[in-house]
Amino acid sequence: MNVLILGTIFIPLGAAAVSLLFARYLKVQHWLGFLAGVGAWLCSLGVLAANLESGPQVYRLGGWPTPFGIVLVADLLASIFAVMSTTVVAAGLLYALGCKDKVVSYPTFMPLFLCMGAGLNGALFTGDIFTLFVFIELMVIASVVLVAISDNRLGLEAAIKYLLISSMGTLFLLIGIGALYATFGTLTMADIARLLASGERPLLAQAAAVMLMCAFLLKSAVFPFHFWQPDFHTTAPTPVHSVLSSVVVKVGIYGLIRLITLMFIAEARLIENLLLILGVISIFFGSLGALRTYDAKRMLAYSTFGQIGFILVGIGWGAPLALAGALVYAVNHSFIKSALLMITGTISSRTLGKTARLSEIGGVGQKLVYTSGLYFVGGIALAGVPPLNGFISKVTLVQAGIAVEGWLVLGLAVGAGIITLLYMMRTWQLIFQQEPDEHTKTKPAGDSLLAPTLLIALCLGLGLYAAPLIDLANRVVAQIGEPQLYIQAVLGG
Amino acid sequence: MNVLFAIATGIMFALGVFQLLRRDLIKTAMGFYILFTAINFLLLAVGAFDGQIAAYVDANNQTAAQPSDPLVQALILTAIVISFGSYALLTAFIVVSSRRFRTVSTDGIDRLQR
Repeated sequence: MNVLILGTIFIPLGAAAVSLLFARYLKVQHWLGFLAGVGAWLCSLGVLAANLESGPQVYRLGGWPTPFGIVLVADLLASIFAVMSTTVVAAGLLYALGCKDKVVSYPTFMPLFLCMGAGLNGALFTGDIFTLFVFIELMVIASVVLVAISDNRLGLEAAIKYLLISSMGTLFLLIGIGALYATFGTLTMADIARLLASGERPLLAQAAAVMLMCAFLLKSAVFPFHFWQPDFHTTAPTPVHSVLSSVVVKVGIYGLIRLITLMFIAEARLIENLLLILGVISIFFGSLGALRTYDAKRMLAYSTFGQIGFILVGIGWGAPLALAGALVYAVNHSFIKSALLMITGTISSRTLGKTARLSEIGGVGQKLVYTSGLYFVGGIALAGVPPLNGFISKVTLVQAGIAVEGWLVLGLAVGAGIITLLYMMRTWQLIFQQEPDEHTKTKPAGDSLLAPTLLIALCLGLGLYAAPLIDLANRVVAQIGEPQLYIQAVLGG
Repeated sequence: MNVLFAIATGIMFALGVFQLLRRDLIKTAMGFYILFTAINFLLLAVGAFDGQIAAYVDANNQTAAQPSDPLVQALILTAIVISFGSYALLTAFIVVSSRRFRTVSTDGIDRLQR
C-alpha cells in the first residue's frame, strides 16, 4: 500500500505536466486538474487507512537502502496533515472550476496550482530533510507566481515581497541542513534522530535546531516573521488564497512538531516555552489586526495569523492532551478558514471591481440568503460556538490547558477568542445585513458556491460527530510520543 | 585553506546581506544571488575537505586515500538550480513591476500599505 504515498505527490505533479499539453483546451485542463486533486485526496485517505491498520508506511525511492537513498515516510502525523491538505486543495480546484476570475482562464493556472499541491504533500511525506527543502521551494515558487498573476494588480508587489522574505527562510533552512550534515553526516531525519538520541549533542546541532525553527516559524507566519502574510494572502486569487491561508501555513506547524517530537526531544521543553510566548503574542496581534482592517479578505488573513497562535499554544503546553488539541485545532481551522475565504470570494466576485474592501462590499449580500447563512455558520464556527467543529477544537484546547494548569495563557487565549466572534459578526452584518449604497453596483451571478457548501457541511459534520477526529488525534500523539517507532520503520530494525 | 574558505564565506554573507537591504530592487536581487552563492560555499565546506581523491567509484582504486564526499556536491547542484530559478523569477518580477509601477525603488512600491 505504500505506493499510495507516491500517488499523493506524483498524481498532481504528472497532471501538471500533462495539463500543459492541453493549454488550448481550458475545459479539459480544468477537469484534468480537478480529477488529479481528487485522486491525490483518495490516495491520502488510503495512506491514512493503511497507517491505522499497520503502522508507519515507508517508500524508498529507487529502492536504495535508507541512509543513502531518499525515503518517503507516512506516519500518522504526516497522514493526517496530508488528508487535511489534499481535502482543501481538492476543494480549491472545485472552486476554480466555477470561478470567473481572469487568472483562472490562464493556461498556466492549473499546472501551477497542482505543483503547489504536490509540493505541499511532498513536504509532509518526505523523510529526508534536504528533500523537504526542495518540496517547500516547489510550493513557494508555484504560489508566488500564482499571486503575481492575480487579478489584483498589487499581487506583483506582494509576490516580490514574499519571494525575498521566503528566500531568507530558505537560507536559514539550508544553513540548518548544512550544520546537521556537518555534525552527523546524514540527511535522513530518522537517522539524525537516532544519532541525537544516542550520542552527546554538539553545539552545531543545537544551532541547527534554531535555524530550522526560524525557517518553520517564517513559513507559518508566526509573530516576529508575520509581516508578509496579510499582504501576500490578500492579493492572491480566491482559490489560491483558500489553500495558502489554511494549509500552506500549516507546513511550518508540521515541521515544528517534527522538530520537537522526533529530533530535538531533549531541547523540546525550551522550544515549547518559546512557542507558548510567540503563540500568545500571535493570537493578540492577529485578532486585533483582524478587528481594525479594511478588507474582508485581509481580515481573514489576519485571523489565520491569530488562529496559528492558538495552535502554537497547544504545542507549547507540550502535554499529550495539548498536542492532540493542537492537531484537532489545525484540522478544523483549515476547513473553516478555506470555506470562509471561498464565500468571501463569491461575494467579491459579484462586485464590479472584484474587491473585498469593506467600504465597497457593504450590503452586497443583502438578498443572498443562502450565502449569508453559509457565512454565518462559518463565522460562528471560527469563533467556537457549538455545535460546530470550531467549538470542538476550542474545547479540546481548553481541557488541555486546565490539565496542564497553564492558567495565565488559558485566560488570555479564551479572552482573545471573544475578539474572533466580534470581528466575524461585524463583517457578517456589514456584508449581509446592511442596506447597500445607491452607487454600489453588483453583477447578477458570482462564483459557484458548491465547494464552500461542501466544506461547511464537513465543518458541521465534524462538529456533530467529533469523536473520530479526537480519537485519531490521540492516536497520532501516542505514536509521535514514541519516536522509536518512526526510526525503526525508516531504518528497518 | 579552511580558514581562508571560512573568511571568504563570511565576507560573501556580509556582502549579500548588505546588498539585500539596499533600496534599489535590482541591487536587492544581486544581494539575493550573492547570499545563495554564500550558502553554496557553506554547503561545500560541510564535506569537501574530508577526502583526498575524486569521489567516483573506481574498482581498481589501490590507494588508501579517502574519496571526497559526493553528497555535498549533489546538494549544491540542487541548491544552484533552485536558487537560479528563484532569481530568474525575481528579475522577471522586477521587470514587470518597473513597467507597472514606474519605479525600481522599494520606497515607490508600497501601495499595499494603504
